[in-house]
Amino acid sequence: MMKPEKPQRVLIASSHTLFGQGLRSLLQSRPEADVEVVGIVSNLEEAISALDRLSPDLVIVDYDDERLNRDEFLAHFVEGERKLRVVLLSLQDGEEAIVYDRRSMAAAQIDDWLENWSAPKVAEPFSASENTKTNEYANPRRGNMKHLIIAGILVVVVTALLIFALGQVELLPTAASVQAQPIDRMFDLEFKVIAFLFALIVVFMVYSIAVFRRKAGDTSDARHIEGSSRLEALWTVIPLITVLAFAFMGSQALGETQRIDPQAIEVNVISSQWSWSFEYPESGIVSDKLYLPVDQQALLHLSSVDVIHSFWVPEFRVKQDALPGGEGFVRDLRITPTEIGEYTVRCAELCGRRHAYMESPVIVLSQVDFDGWVIEESGLSEDPVERGEKWYTSFGCNACHSLDGTPGVGPTWQGLYQSQRTLADGSTVTADDAYLHEAIINPNAQVVQGFLENLMPQNFAERMSEAQIQDMIEFIKSLR
Amino acid sequence: MSQRSSFFSTSLARGLIAMILGVPVGMVLVMGVRLLLGLLPVWKAEPAWVGGALIGVVTFMLGTGVLGDWLKWAKGEETSEHPETPERKGWAKILNVSYDHKVIGIQYGITSLILFSLAGLFALTFRTELAATGLLFKDEANILGMSGLGFYNTIMSLHGIVMIGAILLGVGAMSNYLVPLMIGANDMAFPRLNAFAYWLNVPGAILLVSSLFLGGFDTGWTGYPPLSARAPLGMQMFFMGVYFIGLSSIFGSLNIIVTIVKMRAPGMNYFRMPIFVWTAFATAIIGLTATQLIGLSFQMVMFERLFGMGFFEPAKGGDPVLFQHLFWFYSHPAVYIFVLTGLGVISELLPVFARKPLFGYRWVALSSFGIALVGFLVWAHHMFTSGMAAYLRVPFMYSTLLVAVPTGVKFFSWVATIWEGKLSFPTPMLFVLGAISIFLLGGLSGPPNGVVATDLHLQDTYWIVGHFHATMFGGFVFPFFAAIYYWFPKMTGRMYNERLGKLHFWLMLPAFYVQSLGQMQVGLLGMRRRIADYDPALGIQTTQLLITIAGFVIGLAVLIAIYNFIVSTRGGEIAEANPWRSRAPEWQLPSPVPTHNYAEQFEVVGEPYDYGLAGSVYVDMHAGRAAAPSAAD
Repeated sequence: MMKPEKPQRVLIASSHTLFGQGLRSLLQSRPEADVEVVGIVSNLEEAISALDRLSPDLVIVDYDDERLNRDEFLAHFVEGERKLRVVLLSLQDGEEAIVYDRRSMAAAQIDDWLENWSAPKVAEPFSASENTKTNEYANPRRGNMKHLIIAGILVVVVTALLIFALGQVELLPTAASVQAQPIDRMFDLEFKVIAFLFALIVVFMVYSIAVFRRKAGDTSDARHIEGSSRLEALWTVIPLITVLAFAFMGSQALGETQRIDPQAIEVNVISSQWSWSFEYPESGIVSDKLYLPVDQQALLHLSSVDVIHSFWVPEFRVKQDALPGGEGFVRDLRITPTEIGEYTVRCAELCGRRHAYMESPVIVLSQVDFDGWVIEESGLSEDPVERGEKWYTSFGCNACHSLDGTPGVGPTWQGLYQSQRTLADGSTVTADDAYLHEAIINPNAQVVQGFLENLMPQNFAERMSEAQIQDMIEFIKSLR
Repeated sequence: MSQRSSFFSTSLARGLIAMILGVPVGMVLVMGVRLLLGLLPVWKAEPAWVGGALIGVVTFMLGTGVLGDWLKWAKGEETSEHPETPERKGWAKILNVSYDHKVIGIQYGITSLILFSLAGLFALTFRTELAATGLLFKDEANILGMSGLGFYNTIMSLHGIVMIGAILLGVGAMSNYLVPLMIGANDMAFPRLNAFAYWLNVPGAILLVSSLFLGGFDTGWTGYPPLSARAPLGMQMFFMGVYFIGLSSIFGSLNIIVTIVKMRAPGMNYFRMPIFVWTAFATAIIGLTATQLIGLSFQMVMFERLFGMGFFEPAKGGDPVLFQHLFWFYSHPAVYIFVLTGLGVISELLPVFARKPLFGYRWVALSSFGIALVGFLVWAHHMFTSGMAAYLRVPFMYSTLLVAVPTGVKFFSWVATIWEGKLSFPTPMLFVLGAISIFLLGGLSGPPNGVVATDLHLQDTYWIVGHFHATMFGGFVFPFFAAIYYWFPKMTGRMYNERLGKLHFWLMLPAFYVQSLGQMQVGLLGMRRRIADYDPALGIQTTQLLITIAGFVIGLAVLIAIYNFIVSTRGGEIAEANPWRSRAPEWQLPSPVPTHNYAEQFEVVGEPYDYGLAGSVYVDMHAGRAAAPSAAD
């Protein structure tokens, strides 16, 4: 233990000269205690002014001196702003001294106490408000550090083991939607932080249980450590920053799950006790199974006809309650499936007796298969020519393209197929399948002479499915 | 043995008989009103039963005699100073009205254990159903007039609410028994109100359980409308049961607050109170200010059913999500009612068994208030998928995650308390350490629910079930058992059986870990909450079976504990005066504690947990005068 550079400054408060002088000579006869008596005062006022002038480290108060008001004295020093050590010393009562925290000490202990009292001030400069430690610990710091280091290493090891073990267990179902990806990244981070914090607390606990056991027959108490404001502040601020960071990242991830695709396919999901029904407003299909095309966002409008239900496909991760009450209570959920396959939507909000069985298949298809399903379900003709004719009106082609040779804003479709077209730049091209396809999705590529550029919408590639475009070409072929 | 004076003369029996008589009276009253109003038919089951139950509760309270002194005051008669109730012994003491806070505390505790066992029985019933896929209670079956699935939903719902009742009563047990003793008061501030609050729970619990025989209810303990507005008659009994238990909780909280504020011993400023008193204080503040909201929300649904009102009915201009706001405004803070006192027990016992001061006393004390305060600002995290205004989810995510900060202070301070202590491990300490590790599991499984993105997956799954069972076991069940074992010698004057206590612990701890981790895992994999059957395709059957087995092991452990308590109360070893060498005032008294607690007012002269500070004391038991005889006989 290091000796302090400067001697400790002691102020003695007593109106008895004998007490003050005697104590002073007693203290100064003990050079190893390294104490300097900086003054002797006889009342509170003197003591206060002496404090500013002399700035002592310790005040020793004559406990038996009736002219000193002990309580006032203590109130001033102990509960006031100054955090000083004050010793009450009594010569009557078996030479007992009482430190302000009401510890009693025998005279012999005072010597030891005075010696040790100076030491922690150097070792723990921030803990001036704490009580001095009892004299039994010789060098606690070194032992303390050893334990801390071992436990710290164990925390790292256990964290690593836990993270490894978590990696071995199947924690989540396969992720099968775009929205699942930010969510799973959050999960991954959360599980790692949980593993660390669990290891941190449990390792320190188990280490304490294993190492700091009471030995049989030992009835003494442990070291008197009241706490440390610095540590408490530390483990308030660090978790605070951590949770704020998590909340921020969580918001970002939430935002990602809600990203809007304007081309999303809309489905009205209608729940009731205890079944699901799916309506496709574009095609008028009503189904008890949810069919979705892969890699295209589906915008589900959720509603209920009776009680609250909740739409959840575990592989898609996201969940949303379906509320009764009509238009104002419709809630949206966006899902972009990424894996072709069969899943199950399960009602996640208790909805009465058969809640457990409120499940429906969810089938994610390739775009082609999905289009095929739509065609089949929407009661459209098996004949692509007839379907093309329907698209001709439903996509509004009839506004510009006639079928009977009547001139319009756009070329008539009569006799179009396999005809020779003269383009704006004077070249000619045969109107084959490839030409028609290109003309639908990219009308400005080959503008026919006599017609204007930029007149036809450029977005049919997004609005029409590939199958619909093929239907349309078949329809044009039929118009000889 | 004075219980020879027959069971039928006890307050409980008189109350029950009066209730049985009161119910038909209430029904007739309702029929009379309907007749007067010209509502036909005169007999309609739902209003009749509600009226009957209401009058039944009133007659129960009258029958017990707990209103006796108040009625005398109303008539202008004098009553004797409490507690002048005759000194009863054994069961007679428990079954009769008493104004002594210690007896009331024990009444709360025993009622809590009874409800705890009952709710546990419900849990084992539906865990049996879930042990394998397929239905054990066939839907075609008729169980108490319900279909198999209806029965499943009812006992699952009852498990939840009866457990909540058991926990509230357990909290009441601890704070009633301990707070006056710890602060040096001779009783609670309002002893008659205290007894009244306890006895309200008895008919409340009876109503809850009666729902099982009146068609059940299939809404879970959350009772969301519109489902709860169309559930069977049992729903109303559930609402009323919760209502009376909630009323009891409000009165009890009021009493605790006044007692703590007004009746502390000289010298006991707030920062010198035992740490348990801090948590009881924070708990009572939540109980007093939040409980009204669950009562209100349930009452509104009751009125929807009885009078056709439409608070939550969209067809009548209502909003079903509004209910959830009202409901969770209580029911989230309620979680902190359940756990804070338990955390107080942990903080209270650790220094005794570590022989070291509680690390950072002030921080631990204030963290309880931090949790209570933040707890009021987080309710909507139960509603991230509910369809409430979507933009509200982010601020509620921030406030929810803030709860981790004061909770973290507690954990770190606990670990710092036992670090370099001199630990010993009798049963109460084992339960305290077990509680910390389990509450840690519960706490750490919280943030994934608090982060909206991951909660979209977790909401309404078994992960949530695992999470809150870990917080309830770590924050209440384990600390409650720790408290019972720790203060058992104080309550009975005898020691519990240490071997059985340790057996209880070593069965319950690993079983709980299996159960809780299993629940979390199946939840992540797609198991929803509150379902009677699950898809074999989820691949979770083995884990489900393990959870069920673990549930039965926990049940066995609790039976061992109850056996231990009963046998030890009668024939346990006579306890030493202060077997734990605690500094706390209640341990300076003889055991069991004399009727008037402290014959002489003690004075607080030091800090409560200065273990290791030579010669320091917390209380001066003979502050008035010296030379009072030692009370250790």
